[in-house]
Amino acid sequence: MKQPTNFSEVFEKITDLKELFQFGEKIIPIFQSLIEFMKDIVPLMENINKSIAESTNKMPSATNQINNVTSATEMATTEILDRVDSISTALMNIDNDLTEILKRRAGKKDILEKLKAEIDFNDEQLELLGQLYDQDEIDTFLNSIKEKLSLLNDESYQITLALQVQDITSQQLAAVNHLIESVNDKLASLVDDIHNAQLDEKDVDKIEVPDSATFDPNARYDKDTSRQNDADDIFNNQQKDESKDIASQDEIDKLFSGE
Amino acid sequence: MKKMILIADDSPTIRKFVSFSLKMQGYEVVAASDGMEAVEKLPQDNFELIITDLNMPNMDGFELIRVIRENPNYKETPIIILSSLSESEDIERGMGLGANSYLVKPFDPKRIQYEVAKYLN
Repeated sequence: MKQPTNFSEVFEKITDLKELFQFGEKIIPIFQSLIEFMKDIVPLMENINKSIAESTNKMPSATNQINNVTSATEMATTEILDRVDSISTALMNIDNDLTEILKRRAGKKDILEKLKAEIDFNDEQLELLGQLYDQDEIDTFLNSIKEKLSLLNDESYQITLALQVQDITSQQLAAVNHLIESVNDKLASLVDDIHNAQLDEKDVDKIEVPDSATFDPNARYDKDTSRQNDADDIFNNQQKDESKDIASQDEIDKLFSGE
Repeated sequence: MKKMILIADDSPTIRKFVSFSLKMQGYEVVAASDGMEAVEKLPQDNFELIITDLNMPNMDGFELIRVIRENPNYKETPIIILSSLSESEDIERGMGLGANSYLVKPFDPKRIQYEVAKYLN
């Protein structure tokens, strides 16, 4: 049996449809704007993707250059240290020679004094002997050369101290390389996700991390002694704690004597 | 006969620098570029002191100290750590493993000479 038409329901549906159309009228411009926005944004995203891909491709050469810098500075520093080593050795040899000369001269002075005691020289002869062997003046001169040598030695020492900066910077550069490597990996996977395509491996240099790339990212070159002082404190405190546990001979003696 | 010292450090600059500093004091220094090479060199000479970095490839300084202390010939040999690591846990770990001194890089060569002389003279 046919159901009687419920007009109120029909009117409700019509009202719903009307509201839907009204909503559609409102939403369509928004969709249109969204489509316009997408039209604009897609090329932009493609540009970003291309830029990321290009940057990612350049990273391995950046790390290679950093590695080259590290190798070059390492080689140069080692060479400088070798030269300083040679200079120091030469200075040390000269100093030893001077010490030997001074020693021999002192021996000759003793002989001269003995001669003066043994032989009865007159004043003129004594003056001539003095002129022949002007001990004090030459000794002063030789000692002054020794002082200058010592100064040069200290200076070469300071050069070696400053060269430690190479070790610290190489650690810092290794840390930078490590960071670049991580960023490179992330960007490569991002490009892969966005573009759904692999990076062209032909154009990409692999990031090569040297086998010896161990580093302390916090390594720094400064003349501040606070870090060494802290290390000394920890060591000294630990040693004190350990010595508390170890009884001294006096303590053992006191214990056994009942004091 | 000169007293033999072994230095393990992956930095050629530091190896050279330490050798230079100690050679001036009359010691003979043998260098190794990592912990593994240092272990290989241990039986070759009778080293009276060992200086080691902590961050090294193949075998780090902590492991090297552990291996040295397990070797009956080097049980009592003084070990000086030379590292840019300066956190208390690194220092305590090094000491716990049996190191005798801890020097922070960059270091004063006079300090390393003093530390070496303290154990060898």
